[in-house]
Amino acid sequence: MSAPRPYNLIAELTYRCPLRCAYCSNPLDWQRVRDGLDAPAWSRVFREAAELGVLHAGLTGGEPGVRSDLREIVAGAAAAGLYVHLVTAGVPLDRAALATLRDAGLCSVQLSLQDVRAGDGDAVAGAEVHERKLAFAAWVRELELPLTLNVVLHRHNLERVGAVVALARDLDAHRLELANVQLHGWALANRAALLPTRSQLDAAAAAVRTARAEAPRPEIVFVLPDYHADRPKACMGGWGRKNLVVAPDGTVLPCHGAAALPLEFWSAAERPLADCWTRAPGMNAYRGEAWMREPCRDCPERERDFGGCRCQAFALAGDAAEADPACALAPAHAAVVTAREAAERGESAQWVLRGRHG
Amino acid sequence: MSWSRDEFEARLRGVLDERYHDRHPFNRRMHEGALSREELQTWIRNRYYYQTRIPLKDSVILTKSGDPAFRREWVQRIHDHDGTAEREGGLELWLRLAEAVGLERTEVEDLSGVLPGVREACDDYVRLVEERDLVEAVASSLTELGAGKIMHVRIEAFERHYPWVGEEGLRYFRSRTTQAPKDADWGLPWVLDHATRADVQGRCVAALEAKCDILWRLLDAVAAAHRVPRLTAAARRRDDPQDGRPTVVLPERAVRLNDSGREILDLCDGKRSADAIARTLRLRHPDVEAIEPDVHGFLAEMERLGVLESAA
Repeated sequence: MSAPRPYNLIAELTYRCPLRCAYCSNPLDWQRVRDGLDAPAWSRVFREAAELGVLHAGLTGGEPGVRSDLREIVAGAAAAGLYVHLVTAGVPLDRAALATLRDAGLCSVQLSLQDVRAGDGDAVAGAEVHERKLAFAAWVRELELPLTLNVVLHRHNLERVGAVVALARDLDAHRLELANVQLHGWALANRAALLPTRSQLDAAAAAVRTARAEAPRPEIVFVLPDYHADRPKACMGGWGRKNLVVAPDGTVLPCHGAAALPLEFWSAAERPLADCWTRAPGMNAYRGEAWMREPCRDCPERERDFGGCRCQAFALAGDAAEADPACALAPAHAAVVTAREAAERGESAQWVLRGRHG
Repeated sequence: MSWSRDEFEARLRGVLDERYHDRHPFNRRMHEGALSREELQTWIRNRYYYQTRIPLKDSVILTKSGDPAFRREWVQRIHDHDGTAEREGGLELWLRLAEAVGLERTEVEDLSGVLPGVREACDDYVRLVEERDLVEAVASSLTELGAGKIMHVRIEAFERHYPWVGEEGLRYFRSRTTQAPKDADWGLPWVLDHATRADVQGRCVAALEAKCDILWRLLDAVAAAHRVPRLTAAARRRDDPQDGRPTVVLPERAVRLNDSGREILDLCDGKRSADAIARTLRLRHPDVEAIEPDVHGFLAEMERLGVLESAA
């Protein structure tokens, strides 16, 4: 099977992180995934990715800043000609380290922020980090790097969207991603604590419209979450289609969560990246449309949403080849509706923070 | 419940107080004498498109009325713009203004240099008049309530700050100092008489708001043509190693261009204005029809995608 050209490499440098966010997108068994690629190995992955057509490397984790060889990794990505984008929680990197990364070829920074209020933000992150993050944002701009802020929205912070935009403007962010919580991994385990109500989302959407009318910057991204949209999202722009994820141990995946599926993926630590992308059985399992069942198979939306999220189908319907339960037409849609109705009734729970690094 | 006649009039005038384009930064700069010759030329070239739409929208309004008295009155507006055997109309006087600021008459008349944003705004005006009731269409023309005053301000500003334009160029403005108040003196009472129900009054106010927004957008597009674009800090240009296509990579997306896009971006150096870039490309490609609107459309799209920003 011929594979499409990937444009974007998501390099998960490590799953270690000083934060313990209740909605962490890493796999539940993250502690078992070791950091399998050293800086020279990552440099080889970047070069091979560029040969495949990749233009862009997002360095993420976990927290990439915990890697002592991060400068070397950044330099390797830049040497391969890639646009180097760092996705960070803002700890433990300090200003000097950030300056070193910029000089090594870092192009832009995405900083996560949990809330506008320190107490609430630190509670969901499981660490005292809010004030430090504000300082980090200032360093990014002092060093003249473009800043994207990413704020995960959920039941307990959605009402502060207006204040989030004001803070993003104060911090001189170029872009603000208001990321409605994706219910995978840890977040799925904490679904009852995180899932918002429809009226919360509508109020937030109105606040976003107001903010966009006030000023063109920052660019604000806000998408109605699939649990409330009754339509699946075009997860990763399609399975194995544009985005290539390399996990800390070198496993090449179509998305952050696919390692949880019962599929065979290959490792870039052991084989050329092109083989892992093009030929691994797991990568080809849901490429294209041949795998689709009813109602996706004949659905005109399949060219837009690519059948939605395979990981969500596996987690909620028990079969990754099923229609994404977020879709109102999916046989397993009731799983989403039940969770949504519980949220509307106000049935919430206390979240459980991600486990500590063992 | 409907408004009293006085209250309704106050609402309509309130719309103009808040939204009439005398408050637009471009008009303010014009009246302070801060516009360059090129900026004046861009405004005049583009505003001509608006002038050409006025008789069209007035013709649409005529088709909406079964009342000969109304039509006898309203048809005067078409004569005012198109002219008669005895006197030149507003369109001709506007072309005199264009010549007075150094534009070629034919280049203005053929509308080839009209900016996409201006075309869109003016076409929206004709559409608004087509889609709404007669009384709303007439209400949308009540921007004339503000036109007399702005013309006086403008004549004074031109005489003081742009004396090189000359008297012949100001004849359009002078003609409107009497025409616009005369039209408004007829149009306002007509709207007050014919919109007595609350819902109709509300729709008249909305139509006047929409018209103000159209005039505002026209100036937004004109002003944008003179901004100075440059690559944003986040954007990195490169040629795609696989197919050689010019590409701009941003933190969250890659924008793939063609060779025309590459040529335009090459000129976005933070020194040239959008207008200067468009004119440079017209000189380079004399065989390409209507290249300037395409250039401005491209620059607006690149700004939206985060590839370009305006230099301070």
